[in-house]
Amino acid sequence: MSFRLYNYVLSGNCYKVRLFASLLGVSYESIAVDFHPGQEHKGEKLLQISPAETLPIMLADDMVLTETSAMLGWMASKFDAGKNWWPVNEPTKITLIIQWLGFASDLTLTIGEARLHSMLNRDVDVDRALAGGKRALRLLEARLTEQSLRGSQWLVGENPTIADIACFPYAALAPDAGLEHDDYPVIRNWLYAIRSLDGFVTMPGIHEVHKLRDTENTL
Amino acid sequence: MLGLERAKDDWYPVAIAGSMGECESHTTRLLGFEITLHGGKNGAISVNFGETDLAVQVKFDHVWTTFCDNPRPLFDIPEGDEPGRVRVPCGVVRVKCSPLRAVENFLDIAHFPFVHTDILGAEPHTEVAPYDVKIDESKNEVIATKVKFFQPQAAKSAGDGIVTDYVYRVAAPMVSILYKTCPPKPEAQDVITLFVQPLDEETCDVWPWMALYDYENSMADMISFQQMIFVQDRSILENQIPRKLPLDPRMEIPTRADMTSIAYRRWLKRSGALYGALTEAV
Amino acid sequence: MTTEPVGLSVNLPSQRVMQARVGDADIAVWRGVSGKLSAWLNRCPHRGMRLSHGFVRGESLACLYHGWHYGSDGVCNYIPAHPDLEPPGTIQTTVFSIIDQDGVLWVSVDGAAGGQDLPGDSKPVRSITFSCSAKAAKDALIGSSVADGSGGELSIHDIAEGSNRLEFKSANGLNSVVVLLQQPSDQSMIAHILAAGDWSVDGMIGISRWSETVRRQAERTKNVPNSDCQDEL
Repeated sequence: MSFRLYNYVLSGNCYKVRLFASLLGVSYESIAVDFHPGQEHKGEKLLQISPAETLPIMLADDMVLTETSAMLGWMASKFDAGKNWWPVNEPTKITLIIQWLGFASDLTLTIGEARLHSMLNRDVDVDRALAGGKRALRLLEARLTEQSLRGSQWLVGENPTIADIACFPYAALAPDAGLEHDDYPVIRNWLYAIRSLDGFVTMPGIHEVHKLRDTENTL
Repeated sequence: MLGLERAKDDWYPVAIAGSMGECESHTTRLLGFEITLHGGKNGAISVNFGETDLAVQVKFDHVWTTFCDNPRPLFDIPEGDEPGRVRVPCGVVRVKCSPLRAVENFLDIAHFPFVHTDILGAEPHTEVAPYDVKIDESKNEVIATKVKFFQPQAAKSAGDGIVTDYVYRVAAPMVSILYKTCPPKPEAQDVITLFVQPLDEETCDVWPWMALYDYENSMADMISFQQMIFVQDRSILENQIPRKLPLDPRMEIPTRADMTSIAYRRWLKRSGALYGALTEAV
Repeated sequence: MTTEPVGLSVNLPSQRVMQARVGDADIAVWRGVSGKLSAWLNRCPHRGMRLSHGFVRGESLACLYHGWHYGSDGVCNYIPAHPDLEPPGTIQTTVFSIIDQDGVLWVSVDGAAGGQDLPGDSKPVRSITFSCSAKAAKDALIGSSVADGSGGELSIHDIAEGSNRLEFKSANGLNSVVVLLQQPSDQSMIAHILAAGDWSVDGMIGISRWSETVRRQAERTKNVPNSDCQDEL
């Protein structure tokens, strides 16, 4: 096992790690945490591991990681020999990737919060979260529009990077919070491109593209 | 409003038992009315509607309440009390759909390969074999038996794919109970339920509950599995048009695979359980 | 009801499906593997699921809920729960008329869709949704001139009363920007934007950014009372 993940099935942030591990073909140890209804991430057992009261928690190379950007960066550094997902030798690209990793946190704080409210009845300022989520989706749509005019369907450069992985979950889960994708045609196509990657895995709220199966290979 | 008076005679789940601290309170809705829950001593929970104290009982790890002074009795799940079962309240999930749509989806197996892909179903194993459905007149419940479906990962405790046997019970308009093959204990059946709290006719809080024979997986594993399944359904439920459940047969087209749903809709209609239903075609 | 533009062709590649709104109708628009277009009422006849969430298999659209397949004629041709059953021809979706003309998708819910001619070398820029009334969106567009991103400007040209088509032209008349307006609801407006003439990538990006500037203006003014909407306030 390459790392251990304290994991919650409905968390978009945990899903970033699950998705990227699957795209890289990396196996790991997953420990389910009862975030809802049990609030286990606020219990003493998990606070001993990380006092941040957040999920996911990743134990990797003697580090305790609580920020998904760091987790994605570590996984890319460790397991992507081709340096495609985190192109450390290209200063402009990694700078822009860091920019979009920061933006991914805005998606969590807006769409993620609104989703906690609309789905798990958490007490949040939902109007503010929805307005912020709409603003974030517009920024994402604008960036992807400009990228598509440059001939790329990805956030940075011509290939998918950890910036795409970081922004994908909460952008894709926006309808859970009542923010539909219909007004964002370029986001919709970018979501589809990610869902079509080899090794893609779903989470609840993000469905398969249901490509025709080669039935000889299934079951 | 159609069906409201009848709906008021039933019990509804509003909280997980023991989930509120002393002096804690919070407001929720039931059948369109605002009600307030208060935590008391030893985990007790009381419920107010305005100045009125509502009747409360704790069963299946949930707090149930009703607007009625003389309510219909709460159904029973005798298997749930069997020793050795792990009882798992799975937490609430809110859905923007009729409470009846949520129950009907729970009775449906044909969607497994497309919505719960590689877990409860997978292409090409999409066929739904004939099964039996009846109304149990003595209990006034809908019962579907001999339901079988191929499942790649039927439960958290299941290894490889198996043909799973199901029995479905609709014990109240907004309560569905399923009994399914228990992978580690073939002579017994797992109990999985959907208890639905109708916030209004087009919004509901769903409280899944399970009573399983599973000695290997953690509570968090079992809860995660059930939440995964139900939230996969949620995006379907929020995209069915109309949001209310149509009872007019001209509105939607069922097939033989939908016999449970057909029986459920007929039973709702004849019982006058029309809260959350559309009775005329639109 | 006239024909409405519902999107740019480039944003709906083959084997994809999207949602559109024309008048009161919620519509699923999709392309088969061959690129063939269809526009249907966005509702699976089986259990009411929005077909825009479905997936394309060959020349059929399948509903995400139970996988029922509908061919481009809108007739159900496969029910996975009964693989050996030939579905009765009565199971069908409501089919609307759609055409792809000069890179724009046009849908009519009450007759044959008729598109509009665009300058021959029109290239798609983007579709952008404004959260404001049609009037506020249109006023902001008409009141602006398009910055092309490289110092040039295009000004409004040829706006017929009541038209949902705006055209901006450069001083030399060689470059133009066409904006086609779709009104999905009282409080939203979608602008489908195309550019004709000689445009660099930066120039096209300039048009995209201009549309965001106009949107900010339109949404800022949306609540300002005027004689047209005093009754609503």
